[in-house]
Amino acid sequence: MTSMEAATAMMKRPYEVEGGLVRLRAGRCPECGAVYCPARLVCDGCGHRGLEEILLAPRGTIYTFTTVHQSTPEFRTPYHLCYVDFDEQVRVMLPAAGDERPRIGEAVEIVLGTGPRLVDAEPEEGPHALMVAWTATGKGEGDV
Amino acid sequence: MSDVYVVGAGMTPFGKHPDKTAAELGAAAVLEALDDAGVSLGDIEAAWVGSVFQGMAMGQRALGEGGISGIPITNVENACSSGSTAIWGAAMSIKAGEYDVVLALGVEHLTGAFRGAFTPDESDVEAQRGLTMPAVYAMRAQRHFAQYGTTSEQLAAISAKNKRNAVANPLAQFKKPVSVDEVLASRMIADPLHLQECAPVSDGAAAVVLASKRKRAALGGSRAVRLAASALKSGRAEVGLKDMTVEDLTWRAAEEAYERSGIGPSDVRFAEVHDCFSIAEALRVEGLGLFPHGEYPARVVKGEADLDGRLPVNGSGGLLGKGHPLGATGVAQVVEVVRQLRGEAGARQIPGARVGLAHCRGGKAQGVEGTACTVNILTV
Ligand SMILES: [Zn+2]
Repeated sequence: MTSMEAATAMMKRPYEVEGGLVRLRAGRCPECGAVYCPARLVCDGCGHRGLEEILLAPRGTIYTFTTVHQSTPEFRTPYHLCYVDFDEQVRVMLPAAGDERPRIGEAVEIVLGTGPRLVDAEPEEGPHALMVAWTATGKGEGDV
Repeated sequence: MSDVYVVGAGMTPFGKHPDKTAAELGAAAVLEALDDAGVSLGDIEAAWVGSVFQGMAMGQRALGEGGISGIPITNVENACSSGSTAIWGAAMSIKAGEYDVVLALGVEHLTGAFRGAFTPDESDVEAQRGLTMPAVYAMRAQRHFAQYGTTSEQLAAISAKNKRNAVANPLAQFKKPVSVDEVLASRMIADPLHLQECAPVSDGAAAVVLASKRKRAALGGSRAVRLAASALKSGRAEVGLKDMTVEDLTWRAAEEAYERSGIGPSDVRFAEVHDCFSIAEALRVEGLGLFPHGEYPARVVKGEADLDGRLPVNGSGGLLGKGHPLGATGVAQVVEVVRQLRGEAGARQIPGARVGLAHCRGGKAQGVEGTACTVNILTV
């Protein structure tokens, strides 16, 4: 696959499902190890062209969050957003599943869903298909 | 390399202007700036024009309305830093020795064009997942709360301060003071940011005439203000897990402006900073090195950033009180600093002000910390 084809494929399906766990596609620089999600053509850190595709861990930790009460018409409000930190040293913004208020430091796992977006598309299609949800064991871990 | 001076400043009232076009607003600001400088239409050798959502050739439309055509006109879009990027470009062309008199204009007619919250460009993955501009700052505020014990009351005090300052500014959009309780009682936009902690949708324009040292002398120039430094940076790629309360983009622009001007943060007497949200003002002044990191909201409650405080911030009312017509904002900040340094700021005058700083930072794009940031340092 060319890098252009790879980029197009990732726009359509930015994750893999393995054993029921959802893992985000990301790009890692083979030169300096920097990780980008979504991937990019050239590493910003060292200028290396062509990142290798990796799958992020299916779980991460909430770095910060908000509850959005006013948005554009294609979203139903209110909804929760989080920045989630992954062990691969990359931070990804994802909407949270469910109504419960997120907490900084809480462990979460990625689940599939349409999120807050009011769309007809199948949940598998497009970057808005991803949400985060609470893991059973993650409650109250390490508030700042 | 020539020094650069602001020899003229003009600005329309900010607010809702349903009966005017963007071109008319822009022309009004330009003509006021020309008259203020004492230069004629034919003296303007080049122009840089910043706007965000005004379509093609905003500069030619506004300057054409104002009787200026034929000269090099450069249209600039750099998110909320569009107008201040126009100043940066205009100043560069004078420093390079190409021109002696250059105009910088910022203009925006936003009302009617937008409702709801601004979002990054719709091709942006985060925008497709529901990210709005208030949400970006709300999430940074939650970190400020968690790391430094900042409270909603403290952030509301930033809004209340700026809206109070706006009452003393006849060009400001908001004419009435708003209490901390009223800020907190306004509806939630993105937790913890309430409506009264978000800059409004505004129309307006602002313009400055920049001149070389030679031309400034020819004009007499007793009211000229020196543009000691103009720095522009873009946001770096977000790699790794960074502290979102730290403004690397703001600091890099400030560092360059401090170095080039030989003026450090402790020399700055007052600042106009990009308070698109209450928390944003805290992130800016901490990023500029004007207040210790993590402490600004508590110090606002103590009055340190008031007009009669240690270091007045957004004495004009800021974006929260004066209004935020995107492309015009960065130029309006410089207009305010010029008027303060000339002693022409009326009821909001900061006594003895000789060094002022204008900070303008715009936008959010996937994968970078921010779109663009300018820091302008002015002195008399
Ligand atoms: Zn690299």
